[in-house]
Amino acid sequence: MSEKPTARPAPQANVYVDTAPFWEAAARRELVLQYCKDTGRFQHYPRPVSIYSGSRNIEWRKVAGKGTIYACTVIRIPGPGLEGRLPLAVATVELDEGVRMIANIVESDPADVAIGRRVELAWEKLERGYYPAFKLAKG
Amino acid sequence: MAKSDIVIAGYAETPVAFRSGRSAYDFAGEALASLIASTGIEKDVIDGLSVTVPLSEASNPFFAVYMTEALGLSPTWTNYGGIGGCSATGGVARAASAIRDGYCKAAVVLSADAPSTNWRANYGAFRGEFQDPVGVQGPPAMFGLLMSRYAHQFKLKDEALGKIAITQREHALLNDNALPKFKKPMTMEEYKTSRVIADPLRVLDSVMFCDGANAFLVTTRERAETWGIKKMVRPAAYAELTNVNGNQACPDITETGFARIAPKLFAKAGLKPADIHMFQPYDDFTIAVLMQFEDFGFCKRGEGSDFVLATDISYRGKLPLNTGGGQISAGQPGLASGGLNLAEAVRQLFGEGGRRQIKDPKTALVTGIGVIPYARNWGTSAAMILEA
Repeated sequence: MSEKPTARPAPQANVYVDTAPFWEAAARRELVLQYCKDTGRFQHYPRPVSIYSGSRNIEWRKVAGKGTIYACTVIRIPGPGLEGRLPLAVATVELDEGVRMIANIVESDPADVAIGRRVELAWEKLERGYYPAFKLAKG
Repeated sequence: MAKSDIVIAGYAETPVAFRSGRSAYDFAGEALASLIASTGIEKDVIDGLSVTVPLSEASNPFFAVYMTEALGLSPTWTNYGGIGGCSATGGVARAASAIRDGYCKAAVVLSADAPSTNWRANYGAFRGEFQDPVGVQGPPAMFGLLMSRYAHQFKLKDEALGKIAITQREHALLNDNALPKFKKPMTMEEYKTSRVIADPLRVLDSVMFCDGANAFLVTTRERAETWGIKKMVRPAAYAELTNVNGNQACPDITETGFARIAPKLFAKAGLKPADIHMFQPYDDFTIAVLMQFEDFGFCKRGEGSDFVLATDISYRGKLPLNTGGGQISAGQPGLASGGLNLAEAVRQLFGEGGRRQIKDPKTALVTGIGVIPYARNWGTSAAMILEA
């Protein structure tokens, strides 16, 4: 893991819904996701209700942070916050807990990033805190 | 069931312009004046107005009301369409409902936007925390992801996407309203060597935000005839779906809302894919066009590439595609874009296609796409079948 902060802006929590637990966990380099207690299923990104039941009977639970690449691309054109990060591998990662996250694939050659590859959590250091990313799993 | 007597009794479209320096209001005025001139109606018979939320004025929640003031209209029914590129076809469908329910008699469905001059949209929501920081700030990256998944599950051929881009470019050359920048032919070599912006998505698979407007007059056949209007088309069926598979965390993202609504759409119109004389699909990216050939049953799922390569999709062909050049080659006038494909369908059914006129068309399929969601395909899918 690089200890040098990336150009990525540090997200502001609680803009949309109560995401403070997500970012507090991220500061400890732990991934927590919303869990619907009615249906026993996770969801991501965080929502104001369970997308399964419509209730607010949801809580945050820590997950393992292992998954498989479901879709992937490499961004090659500049954009805000992308300075010094191109080419940038982006994947839709399907976590073993049954949710998808769009995330950067770091510490890996973009040419090796492919659908079906196993990935594990990797944290990118920001000016303040950490942002979840993934890297290709060994083997 | 008796056929609906509600019709689109006129259309207007401004040329597409890049960084015009003009506002959505000014483009709207140009479209309205053109609609009044082409239909011969008195302005004050317009008692319904549907407008599209434009990127360039999205910071004003009262845009629709401001628009009535700008245009000197006093509608008894107003709709503010917030489903992006579905707002034009969706606006026609909503206007038809309003006319049936007696809220208005003659509605104008107006879409105007000028995002290449003025961008005042802020999507807010989850994006600042969970989407934008990973570099998925605009549609290209999300469509790159979608293309990668499609190519993993099915056969995706460069030549098919290139043929879509090249055919639409040929059509744009015959469209006086198309953006001047795109008025040059494209070769397969140019397509294949164009810059990759989000693998495997190329710049020539993509649209460019521009400025422009379009407008449609929706009323009853009887009323249009009393105004002396001769040309009209009938919306035979409309269907839309937003956030397909929205209660699932891991749906198949190659399954779109179009595939869900297509059977209902054709059943309502009493038609089948082979009865469609022109296809004017929303075309923000070539992959969306390719997938829609499958979704609407022109070919089987996963066989879009082979279908495109085997079919003459020019305006002279078996299934004419985006005969005005579509958004990819005429330019995408912001969120007024859905009206671009609709205007071309109405123009062709009116027999006003000029050098690109399809021979005696009787039906058209027009679609809209609205909004790029998180890790899925697109937010709203809308489709309308028109009959001459």
